[in-house]
Amino acid sequence: MFENTLSIMIFLPIVAGLALMVLPVGREAARAAGLVVAVLVVILGLKVFINFTGAGGLEFVEKTSWFAYVGVNYSLGVDGISLLVLLAGACLFPMVYLLLKTKSKGFYANLLLTQGAMIGAIAAADMVLFYIFWEVMLLPIFFMIGLFGGPNRLPATLKITLYTIAGSLLMLAAIVYVGVSYHAQAGVWSFDIAELSKLSLTGPAATAAFIFFMVAFAIKIPLFPFHTWLPDAYTEAPTAATFVLSAIMAKIGVYGVIRFVLPIFAEDFTRYALILCYSGVIGMMYCGIAAIGQKDFKRMLAFSSASHMGIIAVGVFCMNLQALTGTLYQIVAHATSTGVLFLLLGIIEERMETRTISDLGGIAYKAPIFAVFFAVAMLASVGLPGTSGFIGEFLIILGAVKFNMMVGVLAGTTLIIGVCYMLWMFQRVFFEKSNTRTEGFKDLSAIETLTILPIVVLIIVMGIYPQPFLARITPAAAEHLAAVSTVQQQLADTTVPVMEQTTQKN
Amino acid sequence: MLDFIIILPLLVVGAGAIALMLLASMENLSEGSTALVSIGIFAFAFAVQLMVSVSGNVAPYETAFSGMLTASTFTKVAGLIILACGLFSCMIAQTYFTQNKFSSPEFYSLMMFAASGMLLLTMAAELITLFISLEIMSLAIYVLVGYDRSRIKRSEAVLKYLMLGAFAGAFFTMGAALIYGGAGSTRFALISKYLATNSFLESPVLVAGTLLVIVAFLFKVAAFPFHAWVVDVYDGAPLPVTGFMATGVKTAIFAVFANFIVLDNGMKGVWVDYLFYVAVFTMFAGNLIAIGQNNLKRMLAASGIVHSGYLIIALVAVGTENFTGGVIIFYLAAYAAATLGVFTALAYLGGTDERRDSFDDFKGLAKVRPYTAAAITIFMLSMAGIPPTAGFMGKFYIITDAIRADQMLLAVLGIVSSILSMWYYLRLVIMMYFKEPEESFEVSGVSLAPVGTMILAVSVFAIGFYPVFL
Repeated sequence: MFENTLSIMIFLPIVAGLALMVLPVGREAARAAGLVVAVLVVILGLKVFINFTGAGGLEFVEKTSWFAYVGVNYSLGVDGISLLVLLAGACLFPMVYLLLKTKSKGFYANLLLTQGAMIGAIAAADMVLFYIFWEVMLLPIFFMIGLFGGPNRLPATLKITLYTIAGSLLMLAAIVYVGVSYHAQAGVWSFDIAELSKLSLTGPAATAAFIFFMVAFAIKIPLFPFHTWLPDAYTEAPTAATFVLSAIMAKIGVYGVIRFVLPIFAEDFTRYALILCYSGVIGMMYCGIAAIGQKDFKRMLAFSSASHMGIIAVGVFCMNLQALTGTLYQIVAHATSTGVLFLLLGIIEERMETRTISDLGGIAYKAPIFAVFFAVAMLASVGLPGTSGFIGEFLIILGAVKFNMMVGVLAGTTLIIGVCYMLWMFQRVFFEKSNTRTEGFKDLSAIETLTILPIVVLIIVMGIYPQPFLARITPAAAEHLAAVSTVQQQLADTTVPVMEQTTQKN
Repeated sequence: MLDFIIILPLLVVGAGAIALMLLASMENLSEGSTALVSIGIFAFAFAVQLMVSVSGNVAPYETAFSGMLTASTFTKVAGLIILACGLFSCMIAQTYFTQNKFSSPEFYSLMMFAASGMLLLTMAAELITLFISLEIMSLAIYVLVGYDRSRIKRSEAVLKYLMLGAFAGAFFTMGAALIYGGAGSTRFALISKYLATNSFLESPVLVAGTLLVIVAFLFKVAAFPFHAWVVDVYDGAPLPVTGFMATGVKTAIFAVFANFIVLDNGMKGVWVDYLFYVAVFTMFAGNLIAIGQNNLKRMLAASGIVHSGYLIIALVAVGTENFTGGVIIFYLAAYAAATLGVFTALAYLGGTDERRDSFDDFKGLAKVRPYTAAAITIFMLSMAGIPPTAGFMGKFYIITDAIRADQMLLAVLGIVSSILSMWYYLRLVIMMYFKEPEESFEVSGVSLAPVGTMILAVSVFAIGFYPVFL
């Protein structure tokens, strides 16, 4: 029964999506079908989570030869690195179907395709397979923004598409380079991630490949200065697509860095880690300050999401156990909190037909449940102790201080900006005087409450009792870093002055 | 006897062409039935080609007809692609002629003559044979390009193509003569043997000869700097002919080009540096031309230049040892499926006199004809190299080959060029999906092209999931 779980999780949504596209079904039927599939995927995802042993290495492995000529396999698997990302990709989707207004069936078909492709990208254990899913993931997003987005959707669609495709094509060159290098060293073709991780590539060509990988992932995360597509795309996209982009797709970028770049390009990674860290910190500050100034609620959340992606990225670049564990944890924390925020915003937008912050006010008096949910997600997003966000951000900052005091201090203090804009926004939207527009705001219905409740509970549980999650990811993170730290040592012995601090504090 | 089995598909197509030419004298031969007959002949030849077994082990110069022809899995699959191109071009023609009335049975007959020239070309292992087959193909294509005499645009196209093509033919003849003078034989096998013992560079005659031959090939595949004719000619030719030219001619020439370039390692080594620049300039020149086009046919012509550039990358990367050509042939198959797919769709959407031919004419197609729009999107994605289509796998193999041959820079430039090409492929998709329709895209008459579109859309995926042929 467990042999094909991952394949089913990938292809059930894809097949359902294609079927919806071709068959003549109504909008409501499409939504219902999407919901059923999403719930099935959640069940399978939870099954994977529960049966995951955490012994290290891939579990739920599936492997079939595909293009024998160059050693490309159809191979899937989950390990501690991908487990939580997979969980986020599997479990958040039912909310979209339940909370937001019905759109055309094509919308739901695209949504299903995205989910399938994203789970595929997370579960792929072969680089080429990963690349295929990575690209397929973009196509439904392209159509969702282009067909169902806001008034300025066309430039936004073009921007995100050209950006991401440029990044991923460069990544293709890098993937092929890695494969060819493996062939040159081992004498056989393979794109298996576990095999390729044994490589340690150095030299100018390797640095070029490293940069290509980093550009592709930096665009997806998005890391400063590759973030310029984000505000437009997040704002113009229909809220469901924004949710997908911010809650899951951005995380796959981070996951890609951890999975591919860290082990294979350990040396270059170590060398450029500090620059990348600063790029993450600058992104945090820049997007945070930009968020303060926004008048549009959605644009503000977009910048806030980008700002928090900055700290997640910092966690990867610090390359120590605390930071990496924190990043993996924060991936889920951020996915749940931002996801809920965007969905609740979607509800406001549907009921009020406005997103301008100054048009809103006093929602808390009219809709207490809504306000409580929003508050919990918001506090998790700013990292209040007792919510999931605290654990992740705490671990990342701990690791960052260990890596480099300056980065740690900057990352820690920048979080204050997040508190500023979030609380100010909360005050303006939920308190203050209600106006004619918000007078009629209805609170969440029973179904909506029940839909969001599990996620809100999860946010709090993850904040109070993180052990079950940490236990599953820590061994894999430690194992993942073992290879890197030897390279770090060697480098520290030679030249780079920055690394001295790392060795002292380790 | 075995020799004749190798050229059996060629005989089928050639006989069909002659028979159809004779039947054309009969007054009461209807247009539709001619199309069906020629589709049948192509399908039959395809089946024959599929059944002709050549030994799986491919030494490039296994000989037939005492070294005049060569047959390998490479030539076999190239032949299959050419015959499939012929088949789908006939489907396009059938639909096209329901809206544009200048058809006569000779049209299909000429298509078959061209196809037999192409088949012979893929198998040619001797310079005279090569020249003859090149001319069989070219002459038929010249006539086809100018088939509609009523329009000035067609005459312009045929004049350009004929004049420049004649130059290329002359270059080729001169080159062949010089090679014969240098190596003492026109057979590839003997030239190869001669080069194995004598250094290529010591014989200026051979250098000049191969240069001229390569120039002729580059002209035919529209590589830089011989690409200027292609946009006008593809635009001016009737739609079915453009489709056939873009795919069939390219397949045939690249097959023989690959067979020629792997003659000798020393010889290839000399040209690789130049082909490197040719590949780079071809890709970027093609992209620059394509980005500026508003007409769909012209855009496809220019994107054909870009694809020639990718194929030249593959040529740069092929090894002379253990040559299989699998990468080249895979890319050609992927390219042919996608290009012909767009042309089949254009055949029934184009309307009378190819009325709808610019990007703007396809506004909102997805709302009116969602399935056609989806198919065109698939073809565009395949040409752009987005997974999981055949175009992606083709590009993946080419990049793999290039990096393996230590051509990292070429691989990266190829990638940069495909980023540029996203611009014009996506532009059509955006027109179809994100704009409001302005007309109803009504289609008249019974036509085969929609069937062809569907088959090709499926085969774009099928080829993508199918491992490399060789």
